[in-house]
Amino acid sequence: MRRFFVRNAPGYVFLTPWFIGFFLLALGPILASLYLSFTRYDMVASPRWVGLDNFEYMFTRDRRFWKSLEVTFAYVALSVPARLAMALGVAMLLDKGLRTISLYRAIFYLPSLLGASIAIAILWRQLFTADGVVNQVLALVGIQGPGWITDPDTSLYTLVILAMWQFGSPMLIFLAGLRGIPKDLYEAAEIDGTRPWRRFTRITLPLLAPVIFFNLVLQTIEAFKTFSSAFIISNGTGAPADSLLFYTIYLFNEAFKFFRMGYASALAWVLLVIIAVFTAIAFFTSRYWVHYENDRD
Amino acid sequence: MSGLTLRNVGKNYGGLSVMSGLNLDVHDGEFLVLVGPSGCGKSTLLRMIAGLEDITDGTISIGEKIVNDLPASRRGLSMVFQSYALYPHMNVRKNLAFGLQNFKMPKAEVNRRVAEAAKILQIEPLMERKPRQLSGGQKQRVAIGRAIVREPQLFLFDEPLSNLDAELRVQMRAELASLYNRLGTTMIYVTHDQVEAMTMASRIVVLRAGKIEQVGTPQELYTNPQNLFVAGFIGSPKINMLETTVTERDGQLVASVDGFNEFTLPELGTSDRSLTLCVRPAAVKIGSGAVRTEGRVRLVEYLGSETLLHIALSSGQVLLVSSSTIHSLHVDDTVVLGFDPTDLHYFDASGERVQTVQERQST
Amino acid sequence: MQVDEAARVAHELRLARDKRERNARLLKHVFLIAMSCVMLYPLFWLLASSFKPENEIFGNLGLWPSEWRIENYTEGWYALPKSFTVFYVNSAIVTVLSVIGNLISCSFAAYAFARLKFTGKTLFFALMMMTLMIPYHVVLIPQYVQFLALGWVDTYLPLVVPRFLASDAFFIFLMVQFFRQLPRELDEAAMIDGCSPYKIYWAIILPLSLPAMGTAAIFSLIWVWEDFLAPLIYLNDIKSYTVPLALRLFLDQEGQSVFGQMFAMSVLSLVPVVIFFVLFQKLIVRGIATSGMK
Repeated sequence: MRRFFVRNAPGYVFLTPWFIGFFLLALGPILASLYLSFTRYDMVASPRWVGLDNFEYMFTRDRRFWKSLEVTFAYVALSVPARLAMALGVAMLLDKGLRTISLYRAIFYLPSLLGASIAIAILWRQLFTADGVVNQVLALVGIQGPGWITDPDTSLYTLVILAMWQFGSPMLIFLAGLRGIPKDLYEAAEIDGTRPWRRFTRITLPLLAPVIFFNLVLQTIEAFKTFSSAFIISNGTGAPADSLLFYTIYLFNEAFKFFRMGYASALAWVLLVIIAVFTAIAFFTSRYWVHYENDRD
Repeated sequence: MSGLTLRNVGKNYGGLSVMSGLNLDVHDGEFLVLVGPSGCGKSTLLRMIAGLEDITDGTISIGEKIVNDLPASRRGLSMVFQSYALYPHMNVRKNLAFGLQNFKMPKAEVNRRVAEAAKILQIEPLMERKPRQLSGGQKQRVAIGRAIVREPQLFLFDEPLSNLDAELRVQMRAELASLYNRLGTTMIYVTHDQVEAMTMASRIVVLRAGKIEQVGTPQELYTNPQNLFVAGFIGSPKINMLETTVTERDGQLVASVDGFNEFTLPELGTSDRSLTLCVRPAAVKIGSGAVRTEGRVRLVEYLGSETLLHIALSSGQVLLVSSSTIHSLHVDDTVVLGFDPTDLHYFDASGERVQTVQERQST
Repeated sequence: MQVDEAARVAHELRLARDKRERNARLLKHVFLIAMSCVMLYPLFWLLASSFKPENEIFGNLGLWPSEWRIENYTEGWYALPKSFTVFYVNSAIVTVLSVIGNLISCSFAAYAFARLKFTGKTLFFALMMMTLMIPYHVVLIPQYVQFLALGWVDTYLPLVVPRFLASDAFFIFLMVQFFRQLPRELDEAAMIDGCSPYKIYWAIILPLSLPAMGTAAIFSLIWVWEDFLAPLIYLNDIKSYTVPLALRLFLDQEGQSVFGQMFAMSVLSLVPVVIFFVLFQKLIVRGIATSGMK
């Protein structure tokens, strides 16, 4: 017993802050919100047990819940592939044949660093107003631009474009991954007379698969969590016509505007499950399309 | 006062036993070399002695004291690592002094010891440099210096020379040997290089797969290997091994090896009839020997002081022959080669040494 | 003769290839420069607009203001019920404390995960990695209830204390990745040199991890500086607002033609981030490459 303590003590000592944080800020709240999701709770009276009422209402009668899911999934489905394609394309351009990539790399990464800030969300809102910069550029080529953020059909695209603008971090990860592909593979393929497109599909993509997978999982989770920019651009409500009613915004408003904490907790748990399912699918299918270089051992 | 004793030492990783029931006595003041192929457990054993790995069974004692539960820093030993493990952010002086300061040694004493070690190792001009500004050989000296300043009762070396180039390795080998002569402290040295083992050791421990195959002086291991593994591992160029089946004729044992004329064996303490005969390349003679055959030269490696011949027998087996006198042979020459039965080592089917009755009586 | 011929052909081929590659490179540069312009245009437009008179901001693609209105900045600074001095001080307090908390608590945890042996390590590490995935929204409500009960709402404690409890697993992961690259023999040499695990952390690992600490510090600084959701929930009193919350106040006054001021303050809020990015670009890029995240 004493020996157990002596051997383990330093590890546990160093982990103490994390332990406290894990129990009080992660595990505890997750369980608490599971409990709250079965209650009605307005922060004034104590939580009242309502069984599955919240979930029943959510799945059968709450049109805004379904709308927020629709908006969020549409956003994930549009923004993640677009962002990854941009990131991979630019990374490949930067990877080969250029000696001075650091300036480009910096320029392309800067938006990712700034992108989360409120200032950029404010800027974006103004870029896409009816007489904003984007429509003026479109006017130059003779296109009458839509109302963007005021038009329910187009408002989501402003956020997708914002997401694309911030392709910097997956780009950096792709660059690191591309650096890891041995050059002689390309040289060997070139000597064998392999065409560039085939080199891309037969060498780059398979060898980059782990990195692509990694980015995909990460960016999908990130996309599900999108909040601040959508909150600012939609004026905190998900307007117009709930076309920007991101799941997180809906949840936030249920909790902190209407103080339906029980219902918001139920929403939170559904979000957790959705993200967990996506991550799990990614991991379980990964072995069919991701090949790690050291698979053999 | 500071011999080291290992009794029934065992080590498990998870459920996997990598070492068990190991016994070893290290005498005070000897230079003991642990040698074996990679993965044989020699580094693990050293790290267990150092206190960097827990032992699962048995006891390790230094002097009379069992040190199983003693942390590495309180076992009174110091260690030189393969990668030197110099602290990259400290200059040489701090690297040497760091350990002493941790033990709350008075400043004057720290300075005295550091200065002395620096003098012994001739690294005085390097004292203010950081490790990355040192060459491989200099790093090696600093690493040894860091071990010396502690004035330990036991030095541990974990393949300290394997990161050096060939020339430096030979030089550092000599310096280590003279350091040992000067300090006279017990040293345990791990290497996979049998030349290092042979040249430096008071005694060698040959390990394989977590088991001690043999312990002895370099000479004992060379002249009297206890099993086929040791015979094959010690000695360069590698010993020749010939499979044979022994038949009994007129009360005498007769061996026949492919291509060689049959010959009578001395009296052996075994009833095993299939033996392996080993003969050192230096004991194989060109054009003479009591047991002979013909072979064809496959390869001639001229090494200056000696020539190494690879000679294929009619069976296809290749024998190594080293000779310091023959320089006139060429590839594809046919030669007669042979050996004397007295130069043979005998091993039974399980690979254990078979002593001749004569040998047994003399021991 | 034949040899000369072959050499000539080879030479020509090489020239042709060089030319082809030069052209390809040129094309790439043209493309990348064009793309850089598109990428940066919104930022420059923001910067330009922050100096423009109100009537020039919209319906105008040009970047050069006809008249430089520095007043956008001087008036913007005092445009809200509290001056931006207050907001910047608030943001600075939260950011500095958070960064310190992150560095201490995450390096502790990372050291344990990367270097020490203890029972349950694999399990805890897996749990830690799982928290990376959990959206803040999921823990938000119980945390809010908890902090409200503690009387912490409208203080900086809910923003700062979690960072002293290694709540951001990303930094733990980043540091674990870095610590693992340090040779283990250093720890062992230090153990033999009489160091306890605590001393090894302090005297060996930390001094050798300054680049990783720097990376973590910069990231955490930028993220905390830009953080919006947590301040939005926990800070109600305008006196305690951080800069992002203050910026949002401009939006509520929309229509009252304060765009110039709003842009001016937006630009200022980005300045620290851009400065840190320019100064520490290398650390940031390397940090992302080693952690493979964000």
